[in-house]
Amino acid sequence: MKRHRKTLAFSCAMVIMGILLSVQFKAQNTAERELYQQRPENLIAMIKNLTDKRSKLGSEMADLSDQLYDRRNAYEDQTLVGKSLEQELAKLEIANGTRPVHGQGLEVTFLSTSMVQYSDLITLTNELWASGAEAIAISGIRVNSNSYIHYRQANGGLEITVNNQPVTWPLKILATGDSNNLEKGLTLPGGYVDMMAYNKIYPTLRQKDDLELPAIKSPPHFYYLKEYVVEENTSGQPGETANQTAQ
Amino acid sequence: MWWFVPIAALFLGIFAGQHAGIQIPAEMVKYLSIAILAALDSVLGGVRSLLEKSFNSTIMLSGFFANALLAALLAYMGDRLGVDLYYAAVFVFGVRLFDNLSKIRHFLINFIRTRKQRHAADWDGAPTGKTSSVLKEDRS
Repeated sequence: MKRHRKTLAFSCAMVIMGILLSVQFKAQNTAERELYQQRPENLIAMIKNLTDKRSKLGSEMADLSDQLYDRRNAYEDQTLVGKSLEQELAKLEIANGTRPVHGQGLEVTFLSTSMVQYSDLITLTNELWASGAEAIAISGIRVNSNSYIHYRQANGGLEITVNNQPVTWPLKILATGDSNNLEKGLTLPGGYVDMMAYNKIYPTLRQKDDLELPAIKSPPHFYYLKEYVVEENTSGQPGETANQTAQ
Repeated sequence: MWWFVPIAALFLGIFAGQHAGIQIPAEMVKYLSIAILAALDSVLGGVRSLLEKSFNSTIMLSGFFANALLAALLAYMGDRLGVDLYYAAVFVFGVRLFDNLSKIRHFLINFIRTRKQRHAADWDGAPTGKTSSVLKEDRS
Protein backbone atom coordinates (compact mmCIF):
# COMPACT_ATOMS: atom_id res chain seq x y z
CA MET A 1 0.00 0.00 0.00
CA LYS A 2 2.82 2.33 0.93
CA ARG A 3 4.66 1.51 -2.25
CA HIS A 4 1.53 2.21 -4.26
CA ARG A 5 1.17 5.54 -2.61
CA LYS A 6 4.70 6.62 -3.36
CA THR A 7 4.39 5.40 -6.97
CA LEU A 8 1.18 7.34 -7.32
CA ALA A 9 2.65 10.44 -5.72
CA PHE A 10 5.76 10.35 -7.91
CA SER A 11 3.77 9.59 -11.06
CA CYS A 12 1.44 12.46 -10.33
CA ALA A 13 4.34 14.84 -9.79
CA MET A 14 6.13 13.53 -12.87
CA VAL A 15 3.12 13.92 -15.17
CA ILE A 16 2.76 17.52 -14.09
CA MET A 17 6.51 18.01 -14.39
CA GLY A 18 6.41 16.66 -17.94
CA ILE A 19 3.55 18.91 -18.93
CA LEU A 20 5.23 21.92 -17.36
CA LEU A 21 8.54 21.09 -19.03
CA SER A 22 7.15 20.67 -22.50
CA VAL A 23 4.94 23.74 -22.22
CA GLN A 24 7.85 25.77 -20.97
CA PHE A 25 10.08 24.39 -23.72
CA LYS A 26 7.63 25.42 -26.37
CA ALA A 27 7.00 28.81 -24.79
CA GLN A 28 10.71 29.47 -24.45
CA ASN A 29 11.31 28.54 -28.06
CA THR A 30 8.63 30.94 -29.14
CA ALA A 31 9.84 33.64 -26.81
CA GLU A 32 13.40 33.39 -28.10
CA ARG A 33 12.13 34.20 -31.52
CA GLU A 34 10.48 37.35 -30.24
CA LEU A 35 12.56 40.43 -30.86
CA TYR A 36 12.20 41.95 -27.42
CA GLN A 37 13.69 38.81 -25.88
CA GLN A 38 16.81 39.02 -28.01
CA ARG A 39 20.13 40.26 -26.76
CA PRO A 40 21.20 43.75 -27.80
CA GLU A 41 24.26 42.38 -29.66
CA ASN A 42 22.06 40.04 -31.67
CA LEU A 43 19.66 42.82 -32.37
CA ILE A 44 22.48 45.09 -33.53
CA ALA A 45 23.78 42.32 -35.79
CA MET A 46 20.30 41.75 -37.12
CA ILE A 47 19.84 45.44 -37.81
CA LYS A 48 23.18 45.55 -39.58
CA ASN A 49 22.33 42.52 -41.68
CA LEU A 50 18.97 43.90 -42.57
CA THR A 51 20.44 47.30 -43.46
CA ASP A 52 23.01 45.63 -45.69
CA LYS A 53 20.33 43.55 -47.28
CA ARG A 54 18.17 46.58 -47.77
CA SER A 55 20.92 48.58 -49.41
CA LYS A 56 21.72 45.62 -51.66
CA LEU A 57 18.09 45.29 -52.60
CA GLY A 58 17.92 49.04 -53.16
CA SER A 59 20.85 48.96 -55.57
CA GLU A 60 19.35 45.93 -57.28
CA MET A 61 16.11 47.80 -57.60
CA ALA A 62 17.90 50.78 -59.11
CA ASP A 63 19.67 48.50 -61.60
CA LEU A 64 16.45 46.83 -62.52
CA SER A 65 14.62 50.10 -62.97
CA ASP A 66 17.49 51.31 -65.18
CA GLN A 67 17.14 48.17 -67.22
CA LEU A 68 13.43 48.67 -67.40
CA TYR A 69 13.94 52.25 -68.57
CA ASP A 70 16.40 51.12 -71.23
CA ARG A 71 14.12 48.37 -72.40
CA ARG A 72 11.19 50.72 -72.54
CA ASN A 73 13.22 53.22 -74.52
CA ALA A 74 14.38 50.51 -76.88
CA TYR A 75 10.82 49.33 -77.26
CA GLU A 76 9.64 52.86 -77.98
CA ASP A 77 12.43 53.30 -80.51
CA GLN A 78 11.45 50.04 -82.13
CA THR A 79 7.84 51.06 -82.24
CA LEU A 80 8.83 54.41 -83.74
CA VAL A 81 10.99 52.70 -86.33
CA GLY A 82 8.19 50.25 -87.04
CA LYS A 83 5.68 53.06 -87.38
CA SER A 84 7.87 55.10 -89.70
CA LEU A 85 8.59 51.99 -91.76
CA GLU A 86 4.89 51.32 -92.00
CA GLN A 87 4.24 54.88 -93.09
CA GLU A 88 7.00 54.60 -95.65
CA LEU A 89 5.56 51.34 -96.89
CA ALA A 90 2.10 52.88 -97.15
CA LYS A 91 3.49 55.79 -99.16
CA LEU A 92 5.37 53.49 -101.48
CA GLU A 93 2.38 51.23 -101.91
CA ILE A 94 0.16 54.18 -102.66
CA ALA A 95 2.68 55.48 -105.20
CA ASN A 96 3.08 52.00 -106.64
CA GLY A 97 -0.65 51.46 -106.82
CA THR A 98 -0.55 48.31 -104.70
CA ARG A 99 -2.79 49.82 -102.01
CA PRO A 100 -6.39 50.99 -102.51
CA VAL A 101 -6.80 54.74 -102.04
CA HIS A 102 -9.64 57.17 -101.72
CA GLY A 103 -10.07 60.89 -101.80
CA GLN A 104 -11.73 63.72 -103.66
CA GLY A 105 -11.35 63.82 -107.42
CA LEU A 106 -12.95 63.75 -110.83
CA GLU A 107 -15.06 61.12 -112.51
CA VAL A 108 -15.01 61.10 -116.31
CA THR A 109 -17.70 58.99 -117.97
CA PHE A 110 -17.91 57.95 -121.60
CA LEU A 111 -21.20 56.46 -122.75
CA SER A 112 -21.08 53.21 -124.63
CA THR A 113 -22.36 54.96 -127.72
CA SER A 114 -19.33 57.21 -127.96
CA MET A 115 -16.60 56.07 -130.29
CA VAL A 116 -13.67 56.31 -127.96
CA GLN A 117 -10.33 55.07 -129.17
CA TYR A 118 -7.55 53.82 -126.96
CA SER A 119 -5.39 56.81 -127.89
CA ASP A 120 -8.14 59.07 -126.47
CA LEU A 121 -7.75 57.28 -123.17
CA ILE A 122 -3.98 57.69 -123.26
CA THR A 123 -4.40 61.39 -123.88
CA LEU A 124 -6.97 61.63 -121.13
CA THR A 125 -4.61 59.90 -118.70
CA ASN A 126 -1.81 62.21 -119.71
CA GLU A 127 -4.01 65.24 -119.23
CA LEU A 128 -5.14 64.02 -115.85
CA TRP A 129 -1.58 63.37 -114.66
CA ALA A 130 -0.64 66.77 -115.96
CA SER A 131 -3.53 68.37 -114.08
CA GLY A 132 -2.24 67.01 -110.82
CA ALA A 133 -3.99 63.64 -110.51
CA GLU A 134 -2.50 61.52 -107.78
CA ALA A 135 -4.03 58.20 -108.73
CA ILE A 136 -6.05 57.10 -111.74
CA ALA A 137 -8.23 54.07 -112.35
CA ILE A 138 -9.81 53.25 -115.69
CA SER A 139 -12.91 51.09 -115.45
CA GLY A 140 -11.83 49.79 -112.08
CA ILE A 141 -8.27 49.06 -113.23
CA ARG A 142 -5.64 51.07 -111.40
CA VAL A 143 -3.13 52.83 -113.60
CA ASN A 144 0.46 52.85 -112.41
CA SER A 145 3.87 53.38 -113.93
CA ASN A 146 3.77 50.04 -115.75
CA SER A 147 0.25 50.35 -117.08
CA TYR A 148 -0.39 50.23 -120.78
CA ILE A 149 -3.52 51.11 -122.69
CA HIS A 150 -4.11 49.28 -125.94
CA TYR A 151 -6.80 47.50 -127.93
CA ARG A 152 -7.50 44.02 -129.16
CA GLN A 153 -9.97 42.25 -131.37
CA ALA A 154 -12.94 40.66 -129.72
CA ASN A 155 -16.52 39.76 -130.71
CA GLY A 156 -15.94 41.00 -134.24
CA GLY A 157 -14.86 44.42 -133.09
CA LEU A 158 -12.14 46.19 -131.19
CA GLU A 159 -12.06 46.58 -127.44
CA ILE A 160 -9.89 48.84 -125.38
CA THR A 161 -7.68 47.14 -122.81
CA VAL A 162 -5.86 48.48 -119.81
CA ASN A 163 -3.08 46.23 -118.59
CA ASN A 164 -4.44 43.67 -121.02
CA GLN A 165 -7.84 43.71 -119.31
CA PRO A 166 -10.87 44.84 -121.28
CA VAL A 167 -12.68 47.93 -120.05
CA THR A 168 -16.41 47.93 -119.39
CA TRP A 169 -18.99 50.36 -120.61
CA PRO A 170 -20.06 52.97 -119.72
CA LEU A 171 -16.38 53.72 -119.32
CA LYS A 172 -15.58 55.45 -116.07
CA ILE A 173 -12.22 57.03 -115.39
CA LEU A 174 -11.59 58.01 -111.79
CA ALA A 175 -8.80 60.36 -110.82
CA THR A 176 -8.05 61.55 -107.32
CA GLY A 177 -6.60 64.99 -106.77
CA ASP A 178 -7.87 68.56 -106.58
CA SER A 179 -11.16 68.04 -108.40
CA ASN A 180 -11.36 71.67 -109.58
CA ASN A 181 -7.89 71.59 -111.05
CA LEU A 182 -8.56 68.27 -112.71
CA GLU A 183 -11.77 69.53 -114.30
CA LYS A 184 -10.13 72.77 -115.42
CA GLY A 185 -7.22 70.82 -116.87
CA LEU A 186 -9.67 69.02 -119.13
CA THR A 187 -12.06 71.85 -119.95
CA LEU A 188 -9.62 74.59 -120.75
CA PRO A 189 -10.19 76.08 -124.26
CA GLY A 190 -8.63 73.87 -126.90
CA GLY A 191 -8.14 71.21 -124.28
CA TYR A 192 -9.21 67.63 -124.05
CA VAL A 193 -12.97 68.19 -123.92
CA ASP A 194 -12.85 70.54 -126.91
CA MET A 195 -10.74 68.01 -128.80
CA MET A 196 -13.26 65.27 -128.02
CA ALA A 197 -16.15 67.47 -129.03
CA TYR A 198 -14.43 67.84 -132.34
CA ASN A 199 -14.73 64.05 -132.67
CA LYS A 200 -18.36 64.17 -131.48
CA ILE A 201 -17.53 62.58 -128.20
CA TYR A 202 -18.93 64.24 -125.09
CA PRO A 203 -17.59 62.86 -121.85
CA THR A 204 -19.37 63.70 -118.62
CA LEU A 205 -17.19 65.25 -115.94
CA ARG A 206 -18.32 65.00 -112.34
CA GLN A 207 -16.47 66.28 -109.29
CA LYS A 208 -16.71 63.87 -106.40
CA ASP A 209 -15.92 64.28 -102.73
CA ASP A 210 -14.81 60.73 -102.19
CA LEU A 211 -13.66 58.38 -104.88
CA GLU A 212 -12.44 54.87 -104.15
CA LEU A 213 -9.66 53.51 -106.33
CA PRO A 214 -8.71 49.85 -106.13
CA ALA A 215 -5.19 48.49 -105.92
CA ILE A 216 -3.54 47.01 -108.98
CA LYS A 217 -4.08 43.31 -109.17
CA SER A 218 -0.57 42.14 -109.98
CA PRO A 219 2.28 44.20 -108.59
CA PRO A 220 5.28 44.56 -110.91
CA HIS A 221 8.19 42.16 -110.62
CA PHE A 222 11.71 43.22 -111.42
CA TYR A 223 13.99 40.49 -112.69
CA TYR A 224 16.75 42.48 -114.39
CA LEU A 225 16.49 45.65 -112.42
CA LYS A 226 19.21 46.32 -109.86
CA GLU A 227 19.70 49.31 -107.64
CA TYR A 228 22.37 51.63 -108.85
CA VAL A 229 24.70 52.47 -105.96
CA VAL A 230 26.87 55.52 -106.36
CA GLU A 231 30.43 54.59 -105.42
CA GLU A 232 31.62 56.68 -102.51
CA ASN A 233 34.93 58.40 -102.95
CA THR A 234 36.35 58.25 -99.41
CA SER A 235 39.78 59.75 -100.08
CA GLY A 236 38.49 62.48 -102.35
CA GLN A 237 41.08 61.70 -105.04
CA PRO A 238 39.51 60.51 -108.25
CA GLY A 239 42.73 58.85 -109.40
CA GLU A 240 42.70 56.32 -106.61
CA THR A 241 39.18 55.20 -107.33
CA ALA A 242 40.10 54.74 -110.94
CA ASN A 243 43.08 52.61 -109.89
CA GLN A 244 40.95 50.53 -107.63
CA THR A 245 38.43 49.97 -110.36
CA ALA A 246 41.24 48.95 -112.68
CA GLN A 247 42.53 46.45 -110.18
CA MET B 1 11.17 -1.71 -10.66
CA TRP B 2 8.35 0.54 -9.54
CA TRP B 3 10.30 3.67 -10.57
CA PHE B 4 9.59 2.87 -14.17
CA VAL B 5 6.07 4.12 -13.60
CA PRO B 6 7.04 7.71 -12.63
CA ILE B 7 9.50 7.88 -15.56
CA ALA B 8 6.78 6.67 -17.91
CA ALA B 9 4.52 9.27 -16.30
CA LEU B 10 7.14 11.93 -17.04
CA PHE B 11 7.21 10.98 -20.72
CA LEU B 12 3.44 10.82 -20.77
CA GLY B 13 3.36 14.33 -19.34
CA ILE B 14 5.85 15.60 -21.92
CA PHE B 15 3.83 13.98 -24.67
CA ALA B 16 0.60 15.42 -23.33
CA GLY B 17 2.15 18.87 -23.02
CA GLN B 18 3.43 18.72 -26.60
CA HIS B 19 0.12 17.70 -28.06
CA ALA B 20 -2.38 19.36 -25.79
CA GLY B 21 -1.74 22.71 -27.46
CA ILE B 22 -1.35 24.55 -24.18
CA GLN B 23 -0.08 28.03 -24.88
CA ILE B 24 1.13 30.41 -22.25
CA PRO B 25 1.79 34.07 -22.84
CA ALA B 26 5.41 35.18 -23.28
CA GLU B 27 5.37 37.18 -20.02
CA MET B 28 4.53 34.03 -18.08
CA VAL B 29 7.55 32.09 -19.35
CA LYS B 30 9.68 33.51 -16.56
CA TYR B 31 7.27 32.46 -13.80
CA LEU B 32 6.72 29.03 -15.29
CA SER B 33 10.47 28.48 -15.35
CA ILE B 34 10.76 29.25 -11.65
CA ALA B 35 7.77 26.97 -10.94
CA ILE B 36 9.52 24.20 -12.84
CA LEU B 37 12.66 24.76 -10.79
CA ALA B 38 10.65 24.48 -7.57
CA ALA B 39 8.87 21.38 -8.82
CA LEU B 40 12.16 19.78 -9.79
CA ASP B 41 13.53 20.56 -6.36
CA SER B 42 10.49 18.91 -4.76
CA VAL B 43 10.86 15.80 -6.89
CA LEU B 44 14.54 15.50 -6.10
CA GLY B 45 13.75 16.08 -2.42
CA GLY B 46 11.24 13.27 -2.65
CA VAL B 47 13.86 10.99 -4.20
CA ARG B 48 16.28 11.91 -1.43
CA SER B 49 13.79 11.27 1.31
CA LEU B 50 12.97 8.00 -0.38
CA LEU B 51 16.57 6.97 -0.25
CA GLU B 52 16.80 8.14 3.33
CA LYS B 53 13.67 6.12 4.03
CA SER B 54 11.81 9.14 5.37
CA PHE B 55 9.49 9.55 2.40
CA ASN B 56 6.00 10.86 2.91
CA SER B 57 3.87 11.19 -0.18
CA THR B 58 1.66 13.94 1.29
CA ILE B 59 4.64 16.07 2.16
CA MET B 60 6.17 15.56 -1.26
CA LEU B 61 3.01 16.32 -3.22
CA SER B 62 2.08 19.31 -1.06
CA GLY B 63 5.64 20.58 -1.37
CA PHE B 64 5.55 20.03 -5.09
CA PHE B 65 2.45 22.13 -5.69
CA ALA B 66 2.98 24.68 -2.94
CA ASN B 67 6.59 25.35 -3.83
CA ALA B 68 5.86 25.66 -7.53
CA LEU B 69 2.90 27.95 -7.03
CA LEU B 70 4.55 30.05 -4.35
CA ALA B 71 7.75 30.41 -6.31
CA ALA B 72 5.86 31.62 -9.38
CA LEU B 73 3.67 33.86 -7.26
CA LEU B 74 6.62 35.33 -5.41
CA ALA B 75 8.48 36.03 -8.61
CA TYR B 76 5.37 37.69 -9.99
CA MET B 77 4.87 39.74 -6.84
CA GLY B 78 8.51 40.70 -6.90
CA ASP B 79 8.14 41.96 -10.44
CA ARG B 80 5.08 43.97 -9.46
CA LEU B 81 6.81 45.41 -6.40
CA GLY B 82 10.05 46.10 -8.17
CA VAL B 83 12.08 43.58 -6.15
CA ASP B 84 13.80 40.87 -8.08
CA LEU B 85 12.49 37.97 -6.00
CA TYR B 86 12.93 35.85 -9.09
CA TYR B 87 16.66 35.68 -8.53
CA ALA B 88 16.16 34.90 -4.86
CA ALA B 89 13.92 31.98 -5.77
CA VAL B 90 16.35 30.80 -8.44
CA PHE B 91 19.15 30.97 -5.96
CA VAL B 92 17.32 29.17 -3.15
CA PHE B 93 15.88 26.45 -5.32
CA GLY B 94 19.12 26.08 -7.23
CA VAL B 95 21.09 25.60 -4.03
CA ARG B 96 18.54 23.14 -2.68
CA LEU B 97 18.47 21.28 -5.95
CA PHE B 98 22.18 20.79 -6.01
CA ASP B 99 22.13 19.93 -2.32
CA ASN B 100 19.53 17.25 -2.96
CA LEU B 101 21.46 16.00 -5.95
CA SER B 102 24.67 15.72 -4.00
CA LYS B 103 22.92 13.88 -1.19
CA ILE B 104 21.37 11.46 -3.67
CA ARG B 105 24.77 10.96 -5.24
CA HIS B 106 26.40 10.32 -1.88
CA PHE B 107 23.72 7.88 -0.98
CA LEU B 108 23.97 6.00 -4.25
CA ILE B 109 27.76 5.80 -4.03
CA ASN B 110 27.50 4.50 -0.48
CA PHE B 111 24.86 2.05 -1.54
CA ILE B 112 26.93 0.70 -4.41
CA ARG B 113 29.99 0.47 -2.18
CA THR B 114 28.20 -1.50 0.51
CA ARG B 115 26.67 -3.77 -2.09
CA LYS B 116 30.10 -4.47 -3.56
CA GLN B 117 31.50 -5.17 -0.13
CA ARG B 118 28.64 -7.49 0.64
CA HIS B 119 29.06 -9.14 -2.71
CA ALA B 120 32.75 -9.68 -2.00
CA ALA B 121 31.86 -11.03 1.47
CA ASP B 122 29.32 -13.36 -0.14
CA TRP B 123 31.92 -14.73 -2.46
CA ASP B 124 34.39 -15.13 0.39
CA GLY B 125 31.90 -17.03 2.45
CA ALA B 126 29.15 -19.39 1.46
CA PRO B 127 26.29 -17.61 -0.30
CA THR B 128 23.13 -17.69 1.75
CA GLY B 129 19.57 -16.98 0.86
CA LYS B 130 19.42 -14.33 3.57
CA THR B 131 21.98 -12.04 1.94
CA SER B 132 20.26 -12.12 -1.38
CA SER B 133 16.96 -11.26 0.24
CA VAL B 134 18.60 -8.29 1.98
CA LEU B 135 19.98 -7.15 -1.35
CA LYS B 136 16.59 -7.45 -2.92
CA GLU B 137 15.08 -5.32 -0.17
CA ASP B 138 17.74 -2.68 -0.60
CA ARG B 139 17.21 -2.55 -4.26
CA SER B 140 13.51 -1.96 -3.88
